[in-house]
Amino acid sequence: MWDTYIVIPLTNLLLWIYEIIGHNFGMAIILFTILIRLVTWPLNAQQMKGAQGMQELQSDKEWQAIQKKYAKDKEKLAQEQMRIYKERGISPFASCLPTLIQFPIIIGLYQAIIRALAATPLSLLNLSRSIYPFLNVANIFPLNSRFLWMDLGRPESIPVFGFALPTLAIIVALTTYIQSKLTMPATSTGGDQSAMMGNMMSIYMPLLLGYFALTFASGLSVYFITSNLLGIVQYGTMGKANWRNLLPGGNKVAKSTKTK
Amino acid sequence: MKVRRFSLIILVVLAALLLSSCSGAAMRGSSWSGLAADDSMAYLADGNLVYGVSLSDGREAWRYPEKADSKKQFFSTPVLTPDGQLLVGSAGSDNGLFSLDPKTGKENGNNWPFVGAKDRWIASPLVVNDTIYAPNGDGSLYALDLKGNLLWSKDLGSALWGQPVSDGKLVYVAALNHIVYALDPQKEDIVWQIKLGGAIPGSPTIGPDGTLYVGTFGSKLEAVSSKGQVLWSADTQGWIWGGPVLDGDSLYFGDLDGYFNNVNATTGKQDWAPVQPDGPIVGSPLALPDYFVVGTESGTVFAIDRQGKTVWDQPLTGKIYSAPVSAGDLILVAPMEADFVLAALDKNGTQVWKFTPQK
Repeated sequence: MWDTYIVIPLTNLLLWIYEIIGHNFGMAIILFTILIRLVTWPLNAQQMKGAQGMQELQSDKEWQAIQKKYAKDKEKLAQEQMRIYKERGISPFASCLPTLIQFPIIIGLYQAIIRALAATPLSLLNLSRSIYPFLNVANIFPLNSRFLWMDLGRPESIPVFGFALPTLAIIVALTTYIQSKLTMPATSTGGDQSAMMGNMMSIYMPLLLGYFALTFASGLSVYFITSNLLGIVQYGTMGKANWRNLLPGGNKVAKSTKTK
Repeated sequence: MKVRRFSLIILVVLAALLLSSCSGAAMRGSSWSGLAADDSMAYLADGNLVYGVSLSDGREAWRYPEKADSKKQFFSTPVLTPDGQLLVGSAGSDNGLFSLDPKTGKENGNNWPFVGAKDRWIASPLVVNDTIYAPNGDGSLYALDLKGNLLWSKDLGSALWGQPVSDGKLVYVAALNHIVYALDPQKEDIVWQIKLGGAIPGSPTIGPDGTLYVGTFGSKLEAVSSKGQVLWSADTQGWIWGGPVLDGDSLYFGDLDGYFNNVNATTGKQDWAPVQPDGPIVGSPLALPDYFVVGTESGTVFAIDRQGKTVWDQPLTGKIYSAPVSAGDLILVAPMEADFVLAALDKNGTQVWKFTPQK
């Protein structure tokens, strides 16, 4: 089921892109990522809407009064917060959803990359059963797994003074951090649950994706980086990016501005 | 909110576990068996280990390394050298080509292991006189002496998965990039090369007149002269993985669509229509005096005579990808994904013993 509906279509899509762009697997992954971004556009729009709703809530007088009233009763504050979310149609999960929805794509893409590159006899055998008839795999196989300095089928590192520096893993962690910070709404109180969730995501996600980039095929890192950069560009061009969050204490600046 | 935060953490952890487990499964699932034998022992490369198994009773004589090492994975068929070494390459991250004592499984000294290659070893090396020709996944053919010293290497530009063959003068190696290369060891260089119709994961077969017979993923068996010209090309139903067996005037081989084929070595024409046992055939057939032995992905061992008739079949569990091996009166088969890793059959197909490694 997973193979039929996720891995095999993704593998064929990747191979098809690879074939039409002149046998460059790195570029195929980048184009594939752009395609995925276009497909998940409505989800991203939903995320922006959710983030904007959260931002507007911070400057809302009713919400500020509630925060003041129940400052010492966290449970009641949480209940009131839920009520307001419900009344105004705000979903705090909307900002996490696009990231979470990526996981099946990441897993499928990882399997598709490994299968398409067919670096082992068994993966080559599996590939032979995964190809749609319109692809002439006999001509395109073996795939050129080289892209810039990387072998896309293996984890990446650059030797620096005798150490293997995982360049891509660092870039993945960094771009994930930047993207998650840019999409975080400004918050009014340090104890705000949505702010805590946002902060948590901006710490865990870069670490998690950085770990994936460190451990798995570097083709996956190319996907992460492209996806993150596209996300940053998308938020930036739509004026939704919260650039202040990138500055040390930027969130606090936003906070004091909002609560005045 | 606490519930929501908890859910978020659970989701992230689950995603991490899922991807990690995918990777783990990929690693476990990427294994590939390689099997060789002499008159007293079977040598099986399987997963993280190489086993020496006594032919008399199917018991483990040794294993290498004694404790599984995640950096080592063994896909290639071990090779015995005339001076009594057992060579086996690792497809793990260590990229090592190891020389073992076939009696004990201990590493030999000198300059072994050879760790000068940049990628995994999937192909078996070929030993000609005192020189080892070892093709690597990094696209280079490495020439070593029997002590593990690098003599020379030649970058051929594409992963090499098939064992080379030699006519005593030139060394022929097929690459995944569809090309067969003829190299002169004296000149340490390519003499000629020819592009065929698809990737070549297996080994070419060389005839007495120097003709090479090469199966490709272009679903063709092609005959190439010793000068590098295509003599004929025979179409098959499926991709050809294992090299053909030359027996008399005919070539016998399986394909991934599950057909067992024969063609005349001179004309490339079929003597009889391909027969279809019960699943894809990856490994080369084993030629015995009365029949060929073929293992299928469905886990069945077939004995097929020279007219294409099944003499016997023995269903085993698992999937058989590696070529069956003859050792004295026994036929050895190494299935994957079975509860045993090696089975010995007699010439009638009756199971004599099976070997399951102790954990």
